[in-house]
Amino acid sequence: MSIAEPETRPYSREWLLSDRPTSRRQARLGRAYIVWRRFAENRLALVGLAILILLLVVAAFADVLAPHNPVQGDLRNARLLPPGTAGYLLGTDDQGRDILSRLIYGSRLTLLVVVLVAVIAAPIGLIVGTVSGYAGGWIDAVLMRITDIFLAFPKLVLALALVAALGPGIENAILAIAVTSWPPYARIARAETLTFRHSEFIAAVKLMGASPFRIVLRHVMPLCVSSLIVRVTLDMAGIILIAAGLGFLGLGAQPPLPEWGAMIASGRRFILDQWWVAAMPGFAILIVSLGFNLLGDGLRDALDPKEAGQ
Amino acid sequence: MIHKLNKRFRMLSTSAALSLMLLAVPQAFAVTPKDTLVIGLAFDDIITLDPGQAFEFSAGEIGGNSYDRLVRLDINDTSKVTPDLAESWTVSDDGLTYTFKLKQGLKFASGNPITADDVAYSFERSVKIDGPPAFILNQFGLKKDNITQKAVAKDANTFVLTLDQSYAPSFVLNCLTATVAAVVDKKLVSQHVTNDDYGNAWLKTNFAGSGPYKVREWRANEVVVLERNDNYWGEKPKLNRVIYRHMKESAGQRLALDNGDIDVARNLEPNDIDAVAKKGTTVTSTPKGSVFYFSLNQKNPNLKKPEVVEAMKYLVDYDAIGATLIKGVGEIHQTFLPKGILGSLDEKPYKFDVAKAKELLAKAGLKDGFTVTMDVRNTQPTTGIAESLQQTFAQAGIKMELIPGDGKQTLTKYRARTHDIYIGLWGVDYWDPNSNAETFTSNPNNADDGTTKTLAWRNAWDIPELTKETKSGFVERDPAKRAAIYESLQKKVLASGPFVLVYQQTEVAGVGKGVKDFKLGPTFDTNYVFTVSKD
Repeated sequence: MSIAEPETRPYSREWLLSDRPTSRRQARLGRAYIVWRRFAENRLALVGLAILILLLVVAAFADVLAPHNPVQGDLRNARLLPPGTAGYLLGTDDQGRDILSRLIYGSRLTLLVVVLVAVIAAPIGLIVGTVSGYAGGWIDAVLMRITDIFLAFPKLVLALALVAALGPGIENAILAIAVTSWPPYARIARAETLTFRHSEFIAAVKLMGASPFRIVLRHVMPLCVSSLIVRVTLDMAGIILIAAGLGFLGLGAQPPLPEWGAMIASGRRFILDQWWVAAMPGFAILIVSLGFNLLGDGLRDALDPKEAGQ
Repeated sequence: MIHKLNKRFRMLSTSAALSLMLLAVPQAFAVTPKDTLVIGLAFDDIITLDPGQAFEFSAGEIGGNSYDRLVRLDINDTSKVTPDLAESWTVSDDGLTYTFKLKQGLKFASGNPITADDVAYSFERSVKIDGPPAFILNQFGLKKDNITQKAVAKDANTFVLTLDQSYAPSFVLNCLTATVAAVVDKKLVSQHVTNDDYGNAWLKTNFAGSGPYKVREWRANEVVVLERNDNYWGEKPKLNRVIYRHMKESAGQRLALDNGDIDVARNLEPNDIDAVAKKGTTVTSTPKGSVFYFSLNQKNPNLKKPEVVEAMKYLVDYDAIGATLIKGVGEIHQTFLPKGILGSLDEKPYKFDVAKAKELLAKAGLKDGFTVTMDVRNTQPTTGIAESLQQTFAQAGIKMELIPGDGKQTLTKYRARTHDIYIGLWGVDYWDPNSNAETFTSNPNNADDGTTKTLAWRNAWDIPELTKETKSGFVERDPAKRAAIYESLQKKVLASGPFVLVYQQTEVAGVGKGVKDFKLGPTFDTNYVFTVSKD
C-alpha cells in the first residue's frame, strides 16, 4: 500500500519544507529556506542585516549620495560648522569638509577592510585548522603551537607592531589585521574537524580511496564553513574597531582618505567645543559594528546544527 | 540576609577605599596662592638647566629668568641690545677686541661677588662643555684650545673678548644675549666639579646664577620651582615664587585655567584660545623667532623647475590658513627672517591663485600636474596645514601623498636629502639675522658629503652667489648696510628660493584673573616672569 505523495507546486512553501525532497536542488533550497526562516524569526538579526545592506548600498552609490567632495573642503568659509547647517547635515570638520560626505565615502574603506580581511584570514584559518585537525601528530602540534604564539599577543598590539614595521597605510593595516585574526579561525576549524575525523562517512570516503587532500578539501572543509562564517561575521565588528583604532593612531588610512578612525582622531582636538567632528564617525562605527554583531548573532542561531533539532 | 550584609559591607568598604584614595591624591588648589605665580607649560623638552649646555625652549625661559648675561635683548626694540651685567662696552677699531666694563658691587644669589673672572670662566666652560649651543661662540673663533686666551678677565671689572676676525658688532652682541653666554658663579660651581666637567653634572639640576629668580628645583615632566633672589641687583620681583607645572595637553591647561588651578596657560591651541577668551580670560600673544615653511628638494626633477617653485608659492591658501588653522598661534609671513629681527622684511607678494599656478605649471611642461610626497610630522598645526596644501595642490593637478612620521623620522629623512617636500618649523638659534640667513641662503658645498648641512644643503639648493652674499652680511659693521644685505637675501628667496614660507609663530598665553603684567617676550629666553605681580 502506498500513499500518494500530494502534489506540491515547486518553490512553494510546502515544496521547500517537504521532508522528502525529490531532488538535490529541492533539498538544498529547502535547507536554505529553513535557515532563513530561523534567521528571520530573530528581529534583531534582521535589523543587523538591514544595516549591512544599507552599508552596501551607501558604499556602492557613494558618488551619487554624497552631497560634497569628501577630500576638498572649504577651509575659509565652512570650517567646523555644526550639524544642521544648510548644506552640511552632519556639520564640517577642521578642514571645512562635509562630514556626511566623508562618512559616506568612508563606508567604502570600512567595507574594503572587512571584506579583504575576511577573504585573507578566513581561508588561512580554515586550511591551517582542518589540516592540523585531520592530520594530527606532529603536523598538528607544530601548527597549533604557531597558532598559540599568535594567540598569545593581544590582537591590536600585534597589529600595531606589524603596521609599525611595514609602514602606515590602509593596505598594510589590512594585512596586519588579517595576519593577526586567522588563529581563532584555525582553532575553530580544528575543533570541528576533530569531531568528525573518525566518523563513518569519512571512513567510507577513505575506503573508497580518497586522498587526504581530497577528504580535507571536499568533505571536511565544507562542514567547517558554517561555524566559520558565524565566527567571521561576529569578528567583523572587532575588525572594524581595530581598523578604526589603527586609523586613530595614524597607522591606518592616511589623509585625505575619509577613514572613520582617522576622522575621530582628527576630531579629538575639538571634542570640548565641536563634539560632532569626533562623534559622527564614532556613531558610524558604532552602528556598523552593532549591525555586524546582530547579524552574526542571528547567523549563529540559524546555522548552528545543534539548535536546529535535526 | 547574609547576601544583604555582604552587599552593604561591600559598599562600605568601596566607599572607604574611595575616600582614602581621594585623601591620598593632593587636592587641587581652588585658587593659587597670592605670592605665587603658577604656570601651566609643556616643558618635556628640558634636558638640563646648565646654561652652558641647555638649548631647549623651556630651559631657555628658565635661564632667562634666573641667569644674567653681559647684555640682554632690548624687549622694546629687538634689533638692539641693552646692558645687563655689563655697564658699557667698547669695540676696537680693527673689530677684533670687545672690552666690557661690569657694573660694580653686584652679587650672585649665593652672596659671592660677580667679577670679570666669573664671566671669563662662564665662557670657558660653555666652550669646553661643547654642548649644542656652543657653536654660537665657536663661530667667532672661540674654540676649546684658545678660549682661555680669548676670553680674559683683565681686572675684577673688565672682561675682554678677542675674536678671530672682524664681525658686525650687532652680530656679536646679539649672540652674547643667548643663554650660552650667561654668567655662572665660579666659586660655587668649582665646588661641584667632578671629572673636570666644569660642574656640568651638578648644574644640570642646580643653580649658580644671579638673575631675578633662583631655581629651587626641577623635576622632569612635573614641576619647576623658581624663588625670588634677594641678592638680585636690579628691581626685585614682586612675587615670592613662580611654579611651572608640566601640562602637556591644551585641553588640560584650559580646564585648569578655568578652575583657577593655574594662573597662566601656555600651550593653548586655537579653539581653546577662543574658548578661554570668551570666558573673560586675557589672551596675550607675541610673535616669536620661528617661521613655518615647506621646502622643495631640488633633487626632484619636477620641483627643480623654477616655474614649479613659483607655482607652489601660489598654491597656498594663506588667508584661509591664517584665519583658521593658525589663528592665534601664528601670522602669515612670507620671508625667512621673523619679524622683530634686524633687517626683517615684511612683504607678502603671494596670494592663493590656482589659475596663475596652472599657467606656471603649463609653462614648465607639467600641464597635467605631477605626483609628489610630503613628509609630515604628526603634530598640529603641521598636519592640518599639510592637509590643506594637499587640497589646494590638487586643484592645480598636483597629487601629493602625505607621509606621516614623528619628528625624528621626518628629520632623519630631511637631513639625508631623500624627501620631496618637507614641512615644518624653523626657529632662530640666536637672535640675529645671520642665524636664519646662514641656513636658508648659504650652502658652501652642495655635494652629498657636504659638511655644512644648512637648510639650503638639505634641499640641494646650489647657490654660490647667495652663499657669498650671506657671508658679507655678518662682517658688515654698519647696521643699516647690514640690514640692506639681509633684505636683499630675503627678496631673492622670496622670488626663487625653494622655500615657501607660510607663517611666523606667535606664542600665546591665557592669563587668569588677578595676574598683572604678564608678557611674553620675542624669544623664549625673554619670556620674563619677574615683572609679574598679582592682585
